Amino acid sequence: MMAAAEKFVEADNAEAIITRIEHKSRKIESLLKQNKPVEALKTALEGSSHMIRDERCKSANWIVVHRALMAIKDVEGMFSSLDPEYYDILMKYLYRGLSTGDRPTCDQCLRIHEKLTERAGLGCILRSLADTVNAI
Amino acid sequence: MAAVAVHQFAQCITCHAWSPDHSMVAFCPNNNEVHIYKLVNDKWEKVHVLQKHDQIVSGIDWSGKSNRIVSVSHDRNSYVWNREGPEWVPTLVILRLNRAALCVRWSPKENKFAVGSGAKTVCVCYYEQENNWWVSKVIRKKHDSSVTSVAWHPNNILLATTSTDGKCRVFSTFIKGVDTRESKTGSSSDPKFGEQIVQLDLSSSWAFGVKWSPSGNTLAYVGHNSMIYFVDDIGPSPLAQNVAFRNLPLRDVLFVSEKMVIGVGFDCNPMVFAADKSGLWSFIRFLGERKESLSGPKSGSQFSEAFGKLYAQAKHGLSNDTVEPSKIQGAVHDNCINCIALLNKKGSQTKRFSTSVFLFR
Repeated sequence: MMAAAEKFVEADNAEAIITRIEHKSRKIESLLKQNKPVEALKTALEGSSHMIRDERCKSANWIVVHRALMAIKDVEGMFSSLDPEYYDILMKYLYRGLSTGDRPTCDQCLRIHEKLTERAGLGCILRSLADTVNAI
Repeated sequence: MAAVAVHQFAQCITCHAWSPDHSMVAFCPNNNEVHIYKLVNDKWEKVHVLQKHDQIVSGIDWSGKSNRIVSVSHDRNSYVWNREGPEWVPTLVILRLNRAALCVRWSPKENKFAVGSGAKTVCVCYYEQENNWWVSKVIRKKHDSSVTSVAWHPNNILLATTSTDGKCRVFSTFIKGVDTRESKTGSSSDPKFGEQIVQLDLSSSWAFGVKWSPSGNTLAYVGHNSMIYFVDDIGPSPLAQNVAFRNLPLRDVLFVSEKMVIGVGFDCNPMVFAADKSGLWSFIRFLGERKESLSGPKSGSQFSEAFGKLYAQAKHGLSNDTVEPSKIQGAVHDNCINCIALLNKKGSQTKRFSTSVFLFR
């Protein structure tokens, strides 16, 4: 009984989360039009580390993050304005990108991965691998 | 701090412990024996070989006042070695384990020792005078996975454990007849043996290397996710600080003082952490010198070559054969450090997984 009730609540939450992600998506499009790719990425990454169990939410969030990642042209420049608090969550999404196998996505993720590892160190990679609880 | 002495005892050392006067060191050279070396005229000489275990000795502790060695092994046994004349005489302690023993520590009063095991249990052993043997009391069903490390609070009763289930727990190991009740309000308020005082779920990956600060007010342990955790106010509402660092994970820690901790691990270079005046912990520096290679990624040895090939793919298939594998210059250890032990109030010692024993002051 409890499990069924939990699933019901989660589905409710999932709808709310997806709505939030749609809001994020519109904000990101607007920021990209204003040529603010780093702000767009920060917006995409925000709120991602909360435990979202629902696969639809995870996919929806990934689409939004992916959009922002692919829009980055100046990787070095991005890091000069990206706060370190975003490093760990960014690393997780880079690995998700690398796992897609899609050539343009992988190229971009690899480019960013190189710079992120320089900045954040191997510890950042470790944390993205070790965190099985907050999988994105 | 700098390395004071360097000595290569073996190809690989799994655990070690110092004698009370620090003239001897006991370690396991990655086999089923315990070797004891003595410093004679500035040279280390092998003085004893303790052979009783059937498999790798995973933990050794040498009690400071009673001069007893306890060893535990993957063979699920533990022996307490007493010095009788020139010989070390073993006493088998029946732990009743069905998995390997992983770590062992004497309690501060040296009347008990705790063993962490792969059976998800902790055995707390005490000496029964009447029967002239060591009895094992087991803390069961409290851990979800192997217990990787144990640490005693200065009060000889509280025991902290870390486990591969990612959690750090504190238990009471109060044993009637062995421990004296210290509470003033009466016997009913003392926690019973095996009662869990607090469970810390800060790491989402394996936890290792728990230690108490000298006063027992702070607890420190590490996670396999390159993080170190500092916890104050052990009780119903503990205060935890999660410190993330950029390097490879640590395996063990040591409190040099109330406000300074040294962590050792896969980066082969001890890391110093300290708390500032407001109690905020952060990484200060490495103990050994670390000269990075001038070109290429900042990671060393086999990493740079691998990373070179990895990133080369993004650069439109240009192969990067010219990337030289760079070695971290000046690092004292060549391989993972898995254990750090306090030598005396002024010094501490770390051990290398692959070869030597190093002394730092």
